[in-house]
Amino acid sequence: MSSPVESALRTGGSLGVAVVRPLARGMSGAAIAGLDAVLASRLAAEVVDRVASSPLAGRALSAALEGPLLDALARDLVRYRVAERLMSDGLVEQATARVLESEELWLLVEEVARSPAVTDAIARQSVGFADQVAGGVRARSRGADTWLEQRARRLLRRRGTEPPDAVPPPDSVPPPDAVPP
Amino acid sequence: MTIAAEGPHAGAQVPDLAGEHVPDLAGVVPVEAAEVAPVEYIGLVTRAIAFAIDAAVIQFVAIAVAGTFALILSVISLSDELDTALVVIGSVAYVLWLVGYFVLFWSSTGQTPGNRVLQIRVCRLSDGEPPSAKLSVLRLAGLVLAALPLFAGFVPILFDDRRRGIQDMLAGTVVVLAPPQPDP
Repeated sequence: MSSPVESALRTGGSLGVAVVRPLARGMSGAAIAGLDAVLASRLAAEVVDRVASSPLAGRALSAALEGPLLDALARDLVRYRVAERLMSDGLVEQATARVLESEELWLLVEEVARSPAVTDAIARQSVGFADQVAGGVRARSRGADTWLEQRARRLLRRRGTEPPDAVPPPDSVPPPDAVPP
Repeated sequence: MTIAAEGPHAGAQVPDLAGEHVPDLAGVVPVEAAEVAPVEYIGLVTRAIAFAIDAAVIQFVAIAVAGTFALILSVISLSDELDTALVVIGSVAYVLWLVGYFVLFWSSTGQTPGNRVLQIRVCRLSDGEPPSAKLSVLRLAGLVLAALPLFAGFVPILFDDRRRGIQDMLAGTVVVLAPPQPDP
């Protein structure tokens, strides 16, 4: 059996809880609503922009990257099998499919493909390839020239690799101003 | 500057027939510029490939033009006489295109598009300059003559020291290597 004092205290406590709890609940709701209002305000956006563009943010990011945070993040990614979960959930496939379906992606691809840098690079590649093919044909055809001549001369019992009398006669030497460098 | 040429014609020392004129430096011409330079005469296979490329260009253009005209004329009914006249005109135009192609390229730069791909050029034996229009016509006639007896006119290319065919002997030309000049 409890004493009357204890009974009075218990009754008072119950009453207190009954009064304070709704009050506290109401205050929490008001605080969250106030926070939402602040976050949605222009002021909050301005503050975030300024902080993000400030040297402080850069220093904080550098410090975070320098410190153990990155290592811990990598360890956690491995420990909790984040990549595997993403793959097994099909999230990556879904995201990829969604990206591929989006018109914006293809507009972007079209823009990139039309850009002068890309078209120049493709043109250079094509010209380079054509040059390469032409160079191969030139080398082989000159080899074939020599081979064919040797065969033909051998057929007629002539020497195949005779240096030519390529020096033109004196009267055919061009005047000095016509001699190319 | 004297450098031995490659291939069977190594050691040849002749005026460079592949280059350009020495710029006039107020009468001062570098000694090296006036000296002889190597030249490589081009053989039968390379020339045949270059000619095949030219033939492809000529025929492609001719077929495209003839096809266009044929399509246009297909919707117009023409008399037989006019039809015959058009065939004659087309044939003449084709011959003119064929002759003009070679004469224009040979006499201007010494290089047809096929020659440019193979980096060869036609030039006069005497001074290394491109042949004149008259010589170019003569060379083309020689080309036809060389081809008539089952291409026997090209056989001398295999045996001549300067790798000249009948057409070259007729026109006094040679076909030499012409690597692209580096940009100044």
